[in-house]
Amino acid sequence: MRNSVIKRIAKEAGKKKDIFLITGDAGFGVLDKYKKLFPERFLNLGVAEQNMIGIAAGLGLTGFKVFVYNIVPFVLYRCYEQVRNDICYQNVPVTLIGIGSGVTYSPQGVTHYSVEDIALARTLPNLVIFSPSDPIEAVKCVEYALSSKDPVYIRIAKSGEPVIHNRKVKDIRSPVVLNEGEGVAVLFHGSVSTEVISALEGVRRRPKAISVPMLQPMDFDSLGRKLKDIHTIITVEEHFSEGGLGSIIAEWIAGRGLDYRLIKLGIKNEFIHEIKNNAGMRSHYGISSEAIKETIGRAYENG
Amino acid sequence: MDSYKLQDTAKKIRRLIIEIACRSRSAHVGSSLSCVDILTTLYFHAMNIDKRDWKNRDIFVLSKAHAAMALYATLACKGVISKKKLFGYMQDDGTLPAHLDRFTAQGIEVSAGSLGHGFNIAIGMAYGYKLRGDGRRVFTLIGDGESEEGSIWEGALFASRLKLDNLTVIMDRNDLQGYGRPSELCYFEPMEDKWKAFGWKALRVDGHSFIELKGALKGREKGKPKVIIADTTKGKGVPFMEDEMKWHYFIVTDDLREEAMRYLCR
Repeated sequence: MRNSVIKRIAKEAGKKKDIFLITGDAGFGVLDKYKKLFPERFLNLGVAEQNMIGIAAGLGLTGFKVFVYNIVPFVLYRCYEQVRNDICYQNVPVTLIGIGSGVTYSPQGVTHYSVEDIALARTLPNLVIFSPSDPIEAVKCVEYALSSKDPVYIRIAKSGEPVIHNRKVKDIRSPVVLNEGEGVAVLFHGSVSTEVISALEGVRRRPKAISVPMLQPMDFDSLGRKLKDIHTIITVEEHFSEGGLGSIIAEWIAGRGLDYRLIKLGIKNEFIHEIKNNAGMRSHYGISSEAIKETIGRAYENG
Repeated sequence: MDSYKLQDTAKKIRRLIIEIACRSRSAHVGSSLSCVDILTTLYFHAMNIDKRDWKNRDIFVLSKAHAAMALYATLACKGVISKKKLFGYMQDDGTLPAHLDRFTAQGIEVSAGSLGHGFNIAIGMAYGYKLRGDGRRVFTLIGDGESEEGSIWEGALFASRLKLDNLTVIMDRNDLQGYGRPSELCYFEPMEDKWKAFGWKALRVDGHSFIELKGALKGREKGKPKVIIADTTKGKGVPFMEDEMKWHYFIVTDDLREEAMRYLCR
């Protein structure tokens, strides 16, 4: 996804003089082409994240459309207060591109995971939050950011994620139905989408599969329309099961007094000491295709 | 503007600070008074600030934003904000908050309040204008306590590498922070040497001398950002507040207001 994202930014930079890309010492092999094409609109601000976000905000205030590229902990955690005060409070149209969503980088260790980023980003008013499921959605997120006057956060995995959409994504702001079905709906975001898609293969009853790329603000009207004839919602995310999409849906159901059963699949809220690869980690925390398939089966039985 | 006129203006700004501090029962009176002469020199001498040519104005970022009263009073004196707006400072349903919100008034370039933020934003702005070939300058005032923040030194490393000779940083070196003196809390000095070692043009002046401030603000060294360490006295201008840590927090009662005004009306 990261290559599609940077390619799209570079394409725009060729047309518009106000596109600017900042990295905090990340992007080897990914940003090289952009850097070569637009050296005057590229900065590597090193291992100094507070300064990086402050400068991004300052450039934004002078009219540049700034993209900041780094792994999630270094666009959101280390510099949370700068993102809060300098970008979101001042409502400067800076786009944060966070790489390594969820446990993409396992087994690098907890310092390199981003299993609570959506929970954190949701505390920031003005911030638009995206978690695209595939490169097609990722490019759409960049296009949204390019025309947005608000700050944007785009969380992506790394590279090599397959395309899951077989049709054009018309509106990235709304949940997208990938697969029709009834009774049960699976809502998901991010690269764990591949687990959901493979879970749908060979199930006895196919649930409705809905990708939810924009998590804040959430288009509940559109979502509600897509959830007619549904009794059980399963949320799947490579994020803590609390604080992300599952929580957003739970708050919506409770707040509106809706009649859905909700099953939240996600990573247990704990510091991860397991040493496993990405697939192993997904199995361990119950967000693998097998676990999703089993949950779908049970949802129909209990429905 | 000549130094006598600047002195009169600074006195007027100090009186406004005492007035709004008293009306609002606001803290940070000492922090505001210490930088008045610096702000006066900037707004009434060094910076290009003209309401009729607002688009081309120089930019001032108050990074030590707890001294917001000093900026509000200066902007009111300059005619950028109205007296009505000024007197709505920290009132219930008022106009101006204790720390800066750029959406509240003209002339508030950057929202700030947490230390070690405005400085880095100012670096970004200076770089942005430079890239655009826009000749305006960017000034920012940082505190000495604020300079304990890591973000200040992150920015110091990069601003010189970016050759920001359109950026001037002034440090309000009053040697008093919230609960101690920088010189006692950490290995603070030698400040000029530290900035020089980071690739900056560094100067040290008496932060209450208009002649010295004017001289230091003049000119630029090509390819280098400038820092002016301005030695100041917290609470400057009101003798019973000068160099007293409690005036980081104490409020100006009606009686103290009268007493302060006696010094500031002379």
